[in-house]
Amino acid sequence: MNTLALAHSKDKHSQRNDKRVSSVIVPGSFASLKRFVPLLVPLVILSTWQAASSGGALSSTILPAPLDVARAFIRLVLSGELAENAAVSFLRAVSGLLLGGTIAFLLGLSNGLSRLSAQATDTTIQMIRNIPNLALIPLVILWFGIGEGAKLFLVSLGVFFPIYINTFHGIRTVDPHLLEMARSYGYRGFALFQRVILPGALPSIFVGLRYALGIMWLTLIVAETIAAQSGLGYMAMSAREFMQTDVVVLAILIYALLGKAADLLVRGFESLTLSWHPAYAKGVRP
Amino acid sequence: MNAHVLRIEDVRSETGASIKLHKVTRSFGSLRVLEGIELSIEPGSFVAIVGQSGSGKSTLLRIIAGLDAEHGGSVLIERNKSPAVARIMYQEPRLLPWATVIGNVAMGLGPEVESRTALTRARRALDAVGLGDRAADWPAILSGGQKQRVALARALVSKPDLLVLDEPLGALDALTRIGMQSLLEQVWRDEGFTALLVTHDVTEALTLADRIVLIEDGRIALDIDVPFARPRRRGAVQFGALEEQLLSTLLKSSPRTEEYVI
Repeated sequence: MNTLALAHSKDKHSQRNDKRVSSVIVPGSFASLKRFVPLLVPLVILSTWQAASSGGALSSTILPAPLDVARAFIRLVLSGELAENAAVSFLRAVSGLLLGGTIAFLLGLSNGLSRLSAQATDTTIQMIRNIPNLALIPLVILWFGIGEGAKLFLVSLGVFFPIYINTFHGIRTVDPHLLEMARSYGYRGFALFQRVILPGALPSIFVGLRYALGIMWLTLIVAETIAAQSGLGYMAMSAREFMQTDVVVLAILIYALLGKAADLLVRGFESLTLSWHPAYAKGVRP
Repeated sequence: MNAHVLRIEDVRSETGASIKLHKVTRSFGSLRVLEGIELSIEPGSFVAIVGQSGSGKSTLLRIIAGLDAEHGGSVLIERNKSPAVARIMYQEPRLLPWATVIGNVAMGLGPEVESRTALTRARRALDAVGLGDRAADWPAILSGGQKQRVALARALVSKPDLLVLDEPLGALDALTRIGMQSLLEQVWRDEGFTALLVTHDVTEALTLADRIVLIEDGRIALDIDVPFARPRRRGAVQFGALEEQLLSTLLKSSPRTEEYVI
C-alpha cells in the first residue's frame, strides 16, 4: 500500500515535470510568433475580402478589393493628390485644435481658479455644450460660406468642450490638502499654480485632449464632406460621384490611421509629463 | 558629555519659539469648539496635546500653526521678540506626487530660495532623516514611514522655530512608529525648535513630551509636567502613575456606554 502510494506520487511528480518542461519549450519557440497574434484577425478578414472580390462574389461598386485600394493609394501618392489633400486637412485640424483648444484651456483655467469667473460663464458654456456642433453646419455655411472659416469654426467649437470641461474639472479637483500644505510654505499666485495646480490638473487635461482629438477628426471630415473643395473629406466625396469606391475606402483607412497617430502623440506627451504617476509609469501603462 | 548637553540647551533657548495663547475661542456655526484657552509654552520645549476625537485639539493646533485665522482671543508666537517661523507636519505626508523626493524637501524653503541653494540644503535635510539615497525617487514608491520622513525633512529644511505635529505618526504601523518617535526626539534635541505634538496616544505623549496638556470639550482639563530623564524607554514602569491619571481623565469624559443588551 505504502509503496504503491509512493510509486503513484512519484509517477504524478514526473508527469508534472514533463508538463513543465514542455510548457517551457512551447512559449520559447513561439515567443516571436506571439507578437503577430493581434494581426491574425485582420489578415484573415483581408484575405477573405480579397478572395470574395476576385471570385466575383463582391461587386467592386459595393466594396473594392484590397489590392484595388492599394493601387488607388499608389496612384494618388504618385499624382500628389493624396499629399495635397492630407496636408490641407491636417492644417485645418491643427489650426482648429489650437484655436479652440487655447480658448478652452484659458477659460477652463480662469473658471477653475476663480469662483466669480465660473459663476459668470459656466452656465452659458454648459448650455451651448448640449447643442451638437454639427447641427450648426447649415448656419455656419450661411455665415462663412464654404471657405476655411467654416471648418475652423466647427473644429474649434468641437474641441472646445472636452478641453474646457476637463481643464475646469482638473483644477477644481486638485487635492485641497496639497494646496493647504503649499500655502503654508509660502506658495501663492503663479508659484502655487506652477508647482501644485497645473501638475495636479494635468492628467485630467490630457483626458480632455484625447477626447478633443477624436472630435476634431470627426467634425473636420463631416465638414469637408459637406462643404469643401479640398481635403480628405472632399476627396472621398468627389470619388463617390465618380463611383471610385477604392478611393472612398482608402480615405476611410487614412482617417483610422490619423486617429491612431493623434492618440499615440498624446500618449507620448503623457508618458513624458506624467512619469511620476503610478498609472503612467514605465511598463505599467496599458 | 556634559558640555555637549549644555551646548544643546544653549541652542534651544536661542532658536525655539515661545507660544502665548490668551482667551482663544473658536466656533463652527453654533458649535463652540474651543472656549477661552489660556496656554503659555516655553521656547524649546516639547509639549504634547492629548484629547479625544472632537475635543478641539486639532482645531487648537491649526490655530497655532496659522492655518485658521477665524478664532477669537490672541495668539502670540515669537522668538526673541520677533515673529517666529512655524512649520506643520500633517497626519498624511502631503507630498507632491509630481515632484521627486528632493524636490519635495526643497519645497519647504518656499518659492523665493534659489534652486541650487535649495537643493543643497534639501540634501542635507534628507541625509538627516536617513533618506539621502532616495533623493531622485518619486514619492509614490516610498513606504508610509519613508513618506513621513520626507515630510519631516521638508518641515525642518527651513530651520523652523516651531514645529507643529498633527498626529503625524497616527497612520504608521507600530514598529515604524517607534522608529519615527526616536527620530523626532533626536532632531528636536539637535535643532532646538519648540515642538507641539497632537496625539491621542498617551504612551507616545509620555515618551516624547516635557509637558502634556489634556483638552476636553474645548477646555484644558489637565496640564502636567513629565519629569523623566531622556532618552525614555517606551512604556517604562515610571510612566504608570501619570498614564493612569491621563487615561482616567480621558475616559471620564467619554460618553457612558449603555449596558449591552441584545
